[in-house]
Amino acid sequence: MLVIKDLHVSVDGKEILKGLSLTINAGEVHAIMGPNGAGKSTLSNVIAGRDGYEVTSGSLTYKGEDLLAMKPEERAWAGVFLAFQYPVEIPGVNNTYLLKAGVNAKRKYQGLDELDAFDFMSVVKEKAKLVELDTSFLTRSVNEGFSGGEKKRNEIFQMAVLDPDLALLDETDSGLDIDALRIVAGGVNKLRSADRAIVMITHYQRLLDYIEPDFVHVLADGEIQKTGDKSLALKLEEHGYDWVKENL
Amino acid sequence: MNLVEERRQEALSLFEKVGLPNKRDENWKYTDASRLADLLEIDGSNTAINIEGLGMVDLDAYRMVFINGAFDAAQSSLPDEVNIVSLATLQSSVSDDDSQALAKLFQVSGDEPLFNGLMALNAATASDGAAVCLADNSVLNKPLYILHVSNQNNVIRHGLMLGEHAQAQVIEHFISTAENKALSNCVTALILKNGASLEHSRLQQEGKQQSHIARVEVKQCRDSSYTFHGVELGASLSRTDLVVNLSEQGASCALNGLFVLDGRQHVDHHTRVDHTAPHCTSHENYRTVLDGRSHAVFNGKVVVHEGASKTDSVQSNGNLLLSKHAEIDTKPELEIYNDDVKCAHGATVGQLDDKQLFYLRSRGVSEEAAQELLTFAFADEVLAKMSNTTVRRYIEKAAFAKLPHSEGIEGLLGE
Ligand SMILES: Nc1ncnc2c1ncn2[C@@H]1O[C@H](COP(=O)(O)OP(=O)(O)O)[C@@H](O)[C@H]1O
Ligand SMILES: [Mg+2]
Repeated sequence: MLVIKDLHVSVDGKEILKGLSLTINAGEVHAIMGPNGAGKSTLSNVIAGRDGYEVTSGSLTYKGEDLLAMKPEERAWAGVFLAFQYPVEIPGVNNTYLLKAGVNAKRKYQGLDELDAFDFMSVVKEKAKLVELDTSFLTRSVNEGFSGGEKKRNEIFQMAVLDPDLALLDETDSGLDIDALRIVAGGVNKLRSADRAIVMITHYQRLLDYIEPDFVHVLADGEIQKTGDKSLALKLEEHGYDWVKENL
Repeated sequence: MNLVEERRQEALSLFEKVGLPNKRDENWKYTDASRLADLLEIDGSNTAINIEGLGMVDLDAYRMVFINGAFDAAQSSLPDEVNIVSLATLQSSVSDDDSQALAKLFQVSGDEPLFNGLMALNAATASDGAAVCLADNSVLNKPLYILHVSNQNNVIRHGLMLGEHAQAQVIEHFISTAENKALSNCVTALILKNGASLEHSRLQQEGKQQSHIARVEVKQCRDSSYTFHGVELGASLSRTDLVVNLSEQGASCALNGLFVLDGRQHVDHHTRVDHTAPHCTSHENYRTVLDGRSHAVFNGKVVVHEGASKTDSVQSNGNLLLSKHAEIDTKPELEIYNDDVKCAHGATVGQLDDKQLFYLRSRGVSEEAAQELLTFAFADEVLAKMSNTTVRRYIEKAAFAKLPHSEGIEGLLGE
């Protein structure tokens, strides 16, 4: 689904990703772990199409197409979704309205008719249950005044409604207490499917107790240093990131 | 000559003495009133205009219609039991005893805050207006919708008095049926007695060539509450002076302004709030969305006088520049002569937020629609304080139509 080849990315003239390669197939769940500042968010932002990241070389191919040639909204229509590490508050823009605009723009891109208000609301209500999001959040402004945990739940709720093929979850577990983590992870698990790839970016191993990944990658110094299965995460937890560097 | 005529003669002499405001006047630094000189020469002959199909606000309301500055009773609908009449009617029928009160409405002094010649000219030449007097403890059960339709010069003077604990909602709407140059000069004088409460909207939507000059004067007695919504969408030049006197304790006012401008529109609001008594509150929030080569001026002056302890005053002014040729001059001014007060004032000027734009786009909203959505949300924040949702929707729709790519997010309205 997504093939990343020798990706070099600079921010403000400083090279952050230094030749990162990674292949992600439908149905797989990947975990990318790494120390703070390793470039995890940089990677997810580049995939989602955020400005300010200069791709100096390498390629990103999504479903056979050059992702870098697409605008952020086109990537969303093609099925890319990013759950933000720091979801943005947007006063005055209604949560449900945003989703409706997003869903219908995607349907238009796919050549489908817009959902009518009734069908849309029934989808929304069903998905809100998935992350136990109170329906009062639907009519509030996007993330405005939400607690940290509510923002993260809202991200997964949006993911559920937008139904992406490739979902990137950037530190969705950070700042969640155990109950909230369980709810969010439960939501993500229900969204696992053979057609969908999920990439979880995380700093901590504990998320992987709830969502079992097929692959674990260690990102450090701008490259994938090591790839393994779930046991790699446990080793990391035990020995720290320095262990990876020392045992290359 | 009766008392009213005397006052009007005095106002005329005053205007002849001071003339139009000029750029030497600090309060008219950014707005060129000399542009209005030619307009004063234009003479209006009263033509009839049928308001059918003119895009009024579709409200369940009492309605007063003014066509080119003259009350049109046939197109108006007013309650029998409440004292709402046209000023011209009142003037022609007023008894000598009552003329003193009426004469006050036409009294202009050069010492008033934000005084300028145009307000004297208004008192001297106003052809008509609304004269509203609400009895103590009365509640106007429907909004009063004052529709001004013009295609030529018009001079209007409204006087509203709300008795103790009286409540009302008043919407002034200004539209024009011609694209010619003309001048509207409108004064609204308001008195709120103890505990009275008024929500007052002013929606200026005149034609592209029009000039609109307005003054709103509010005198607030004890525990009264005044809410103002000033919405500027039309005209080529529009200037409003809003003068509020919180003269007795516990009075509060909320002043909200929204300008959505494009082309070469020039809109200037000067607000002046005097806190002269303790425990009064003034909250002011102005937002502008400026496209093209439009120019907005906001000057908000709050004076906290010596006796006004426990004053609570907040003023904010946010400006969104959609074009690099648009211009804003903003100046929040605060003068405080009392230590025991809580005052916060500030202004921002900026573009749309990149993080918010990216967030929306990452959810599949196109770039243009995302820009539109954020612009709309920015503007709409001011309208959120409007209690009448019909008026709010009307304004949203009209403001929205002025934004550059509104097609993408039409569905936003009415949600
Ligand atoms: N928008 C940005 N502007 C400047 N520096 C940035 C920006 N985004 C990331 N960086 C820098 O890039 C490096 C990697 O950051 P990031 O991708 O956020 O790491 P991680 O998510 O792994 O903690 C850090 O040194 C960070 O300071
Ligand atoms: Mg990060």
